[in-house]
Amino acid sequence: MDLVASEEQLLLRDAALLFARERMGHERARALEERAASGEQRHDAELASELGSLGWSGGALPVAHGGAGLGLLELALLVEALGTAPLPTTIFGSVVEAGLLLAGAGSEEQRARWLPRLASGEALLGGGARRGARASRARAAPRPAGGYRLDGSKVLVRDAGAADALIVAARTGDGAAGPGVTLLLVERGAEGLELEPQPAAAGEPLFSLRLDGVEVDGDAVIGAPGAGWPQLERLLARGAVLKAAELVGIGQAALDLTLSHAKERMQFGRPIGSFQAVHHHCADLYREVVACRLLAYRAAWSLQQAGGDPSPSPVRRAVASAKAKASEAMPWATRLAHQVHGGVGYYRDYPLEIFTRRAIAAAAAYGDARYHRRRLAAAL
Amino acid sequence: MDFVLDAGQEEFRAELRRFLSSELTEEVRARHHDPREWDGWEAGFSEEFRRRLGARGFIGATWPVEYGGGGRDARERVLFAEEMEYHGAPAFDRSVTYVPDAILQFGSEAQKSEFLPRLARGECTFFLGYSEPDAGSDLASLQTRAEARGDTFLLTGQKAYSSGADRADYGWIAARTDPDAPKHRGISLFIVDMASPGVSIARHETTAGWEHHSVSFESVEVPRDALVGELNGGWRVIMGAIDAERASLAAPGLVRAQLDRLVEHCRRAPGEEGSLLDDDAVADRLARLAIEADAAQLTSYWVASMIARGEQPQHETSLALLVKRETARALDVAALELLGAPGSLLPEAPGAPLGGSVLREYLDHLYFHFAAGGFDITRNVIATRGLGLPRG
Repeated sequence: MDLVASEEQLLLRDAALLFARERMGHERARALEERAASGEQRHDAELASELGSLGWSGGALPVAHGGAGLGLLELALLVEALGTAPLPTTIFGSVVEAGLLLAGAGSEEQRARWLPRLASGEALLGGGARRGARASRARAAPRPAGGYRLDGSKVLVRDAGAADALIVAARTGDGAAGPGVTLLLVERGAEGLELEPQPAAAGEPLFSLRLDGVEVDGDAVIGAPGAGWPQLERLLARGAVLKAAELVGIGQAALDLTLSHAKERMQFGRPIGSFQAVHHHCADLYREVVACRLLAYRAAWSLQQAGGDPSPSPVRRAVASAKAKASEAMPWATRLAHQVHGGVGYYRDYPLEIFTRRAIAAAAAYGDARYHRRRLAAAL
Repeated sequence: MDFVLDAGQEEFRAELRRFLSSELTEEVRARHHDPREWDGWEAGFSEEFRRRLGARGFIGATWPVEYGGGGRDARERVLFAEEMEYHGAPAFDRSVTYVPDAILQFGSEAQKSEFLPRLARGECTFFLGYSEPDAGSDLASLQTRAEARGDTFLLTGQKAYSSGADRADYGWIAARTDPDAPKHRGISLFIVDMASPGVSIARHETTAGWEHHSVSFESVEVPRDALVGELNGGWRVIMGAIDAERASLAAPGLVRAQLDRLVEHCRRAPGEEGSLLDDDAVADRLARLAIEADAAQLTSYWVASMIARGEQPQHETSLALLVKRETARALDVAALELLGAPGSLLPEAPGAPLGGSVLREYLDHLYFHFAAGGFDITRNVIATRGLGLPRG
């Protein structure tokens, strides 16, 4: 038992916190939002290469393919720290979903082709997995000459706009939810592939996909045909854990802003942070951030110890607890932060409300609070 | 970071669990039950059990070897507290947890050699004399005074909410030694022999129906070597001791026991269809409570990990206590509601579900709202000491 981060872990976290503060600030996030609103680029391309050159994009990818081989716990610390900044990264689509999927289940050729470029930030991948999407509306029919022809649609596909290729989970089997799911890499620009932005709270770059007779070769299959479901389960579990970590970063940012404001804002001749009601709000906010953080770290550690397999019962319980709690408590924390901020937090020129919006998007990703409480209750 | 026990911790906990399960069988529990006692255990049995705990080396397991301890660290300390709470063990009080901690931290060599070996053997007990009728949350305004008279002090005043005072051998007493100094700087801490002339005890009955006490000191002679730490340096001792107290009170055994009992009840009790556990609303509520119970355990382990690394947590112990007690209260409320109408039956009533324990705990845990800092004070401590907000 040792629930305190090691020196190396703290160094990583502190470096990421510093980068988040200096390079991922409010102005850059607002600029991106304005570009996105006018129909331009929905991700910050420069950020991706900055994260690549710092070694963070590839942090969790295997050393043999240009990564640093960090564990999920370190990745959680990194995602948490970057989560304290208003600017979203493409780590979820490229690394958490696609990169780690390829690292675990991809062919040697797929790994050699994609992982080094993901690690350097040169390439981006998008992920099409989400909770509750068991009844996938994408189907892949085998072609006589090998490979598949894909038809159907996908929604809420993460980071698809900038992605060089997308992971598409399609049904190839008998229609059962589990077996029969095949994971396929579909490259950007493939004929019959159409993307449409689905603007979400706080600039989460989500897209809907139309697949109209998209043809892929046999080497687009990730892992074995029809055996995609367990990989998808792994992907969803690490997505849930790391979104829980990101939510902790969001909550911490809301707490930090709230504490500064409470110490500086004078009303009735004294700082509002001297009032007991404000003491209590801040203590409660901090309590929930700490609780969510410890639950997220435990989940990341457990999943890492299990080699990324979420099926053992303690792992399932740890993952569900972390995401259920963070999905509810961190959006709550942002609302409490607004209470302490009063009118100041209402405008977009003050850097609180962007976290409030980010919390909504993160809470909804990879299973919301209710979904994870159901999973947890089933394990009781 | 590491979220599982290492081999030594695992072995320590397994040994403690074996000891508690074999000593505290259902039959022993029934035979030695006493609802007039704070923990429901007959006083004589508690004292006997305290000595058995001592003989097995559990009390001093985490103290330094030179004071008769086992040399283990704060992580085994929280495991000890957790298992004792989980099993509802007798003699789990300040004399086996934070009073020895405080003596280790602030006592003189003579005090350590005098008290620690006896405490480790389970041969003596303390009560905590901080609160007074007019000094609670504002403890520094306490009025009990100790006047220096040559080599002794004369102690006069009243202490309130003095758990365990009726049978304590010693009092850990905060008293004013300099009435002219600013209020935090005129307080000293003494170990007072309760057999001294001039000590008297009054009885009260708690909401949950057990006996509680307050203590009066009337010109009680206290020798100079009973002073803990420096003269007028008592506030520092109290603050240090209170962190140890909160860390020990934050152990998550209670919430784990409450949760397990409630889940088991819901598994057996009939719902509208199947068991209560099959009811979505019930399952959702239990899932929430399970998350909070895990959070309480993690927060408590986090504090223990810091201490084991040689760090000195301060507001973090208050945080762990807040999470634990709020979770325990949420479990009390949920349990009472899920028992339905029979939940209101007193423990002695025929047909009282779960032996009336849920109702008793619901009432008993009212002390969470004030003891060692209630919920509001605990939040103030976190906000000021932890988050750096200005005091009101």
